[in-house]
Amino acid sequence: MASGVAGTPEPIARLIEAFHRLPGVGPKSAQRLAYHILRAPDEEATALAEAIGDVKQRISLCSLCLNITEHDPCPFCEDDRRDRSMICVVEQPLDILALERTGGFRGLYHVLHGVLNPMDGIGPQDLRIQELLPRLRDGSVKEVIMATNPSLEGEATAMYIHRLLSPLGVRVTRLARGLPSGADLEYTDDVTLTRALEGRQDF
Amino acid sequence: MSDRPRVYKTEGVILRRRNIGEADSIFTVYSDREGKFEAVARGVRKVRSRMRGHLEPLTRSRLLIARGRSLDVFTQAETVTPYIAIREDLERTAAALYCAELVDRFTGERVPQDGLYELLLDVLDALEAGLPLHCVRYFEMHLLSLLGYELQLNVCAICGGKIVESDTLLSPSAGGFTCQGCRSAAAGGRLVSVRAVKVLRYARAASLDSWAGLRIDEALDRELRSALADVIRYLLDREPLLPRYLEEVSRLEPLVPLPAGEVQSEEHP
Repeated sequence: MASGVAGTPEPIARLIEAFHRLPGVGPKSAQRLAYHILRAPDEEATALAEAIGDVKQRISLCSLCLNITEHDPCPFCEDDRRDRSMICVVEQPLDILALERTGGFRGLYHVLHGVLNPMDGIGPQDLRIQELLPRLRDGSVKEVIMATNPSLEGEATAMYIHRLLSPLGVRVTRLARGLPSGADLEYTDDVTLTRALEGRQDF
Repeated sequence: MSDRPRVYKTEGVILRRRNIGEADSIFTVYSDREGKFEAVARGVRKVRSRMRGHLEPLTRSRLLIARGRSLDVFTQAETVTPYIAIREDLERTAAALYCAELVDRFTGERVPQDGLYELLLDVLDALEAGLPLHCVRYFEMHLLSLLGYELQLNVCAICGGKIVESDTLLSPSAGGFTCQGCRSAAAGGRLVSVRAVKVLRYARAASLDSWAGLRIDEALDRELRSALADVIRYLLDREPLLPRYLEEVSRLEPLVPLPAGEVQSEEHP
């Protein structure tokens, strides 16, 4: 229950408690935020409350790619100009934003909403992998690009999906793994350097 | 002020990672000199972090660590063995993570256990070299021995009497095989075949290399796996997480293409 000091009015204690539940917000920050809201103009506080309400009411998951969206299907899935023969599989909706920023990918997406993490008990059934399968059945998708992070968990997820899809005849690729720009060879780990060497290209 | 040095060096295997905050992670390491410990790596999730790849789970790294008030902080990390072959294979990754999970669950913080670091490296080296996955059974047996839970395999764990090899009962609570007469006192256990009795005894005496050379068929493998899993579950008083995952990935049947238009039902329990 509310951890407020005795005598704190109930609505404030409730607000402090709500802020305290947010990631990275400790008890002191929660108090500061709550008292900030208390002192803020009415419009500011109402706008915040409405924004929170809207996000929960109006945002849902795209029924095709599971990206977060206001309208189903999402703008990417609905856009006829996008290349429907490619699906890029990402861990989180935020990864789509990163890929879109590059402007280099014009295909469709699929969001897994997580990554295999057996050490924390997250297995294949906890990810949105099954939803990818119906999208591949009509044969229009020619390539699935695995864009999971190059971490142990991301690699395991990519390998798992690759194995699952291999008999479908669809081409499964993964993002190149190597040196990030601005990197320092001296500090680069062996796995990255090995893969950078393997993936070297002609000038 | 303590007179302990403010920074210390150690070598260890990264067992697991937990992300905190914007770009930091806490890593659990098992090291030769310190035993198991946790430390935080600041900014390690940023692309330009110099320690990133050196602190991936299942990497053997040389570490320089600064003592912190609550948590120690990694200041330098350099890979000794990256175990690339393990991470390129689903089953091997799962098997290696299982070994890491056992080390994590069976050890206390900063209690180095003689021989355990070497045993962990041995099994990782074996998995990296492509030796069969039943190396993990050897790891389990020797882990139990090192931690003081050595299974009694030669005489009855309850009365010390002779063991008749046919249908021997392996009892987790008694800590080993029990004779026919003590079965009722053993409070549960699993009957194991003569073959299993022999290979378990062999695992204790042999080197990892010679154990890996054994030809163990699927049935025997399953039997050994279940028998040792019983003991481990009993000692930990909980089910380790990785065996289920390992089972799931090795059972993974590639999809059979369905006729176009047919949609597979969603399986989300």
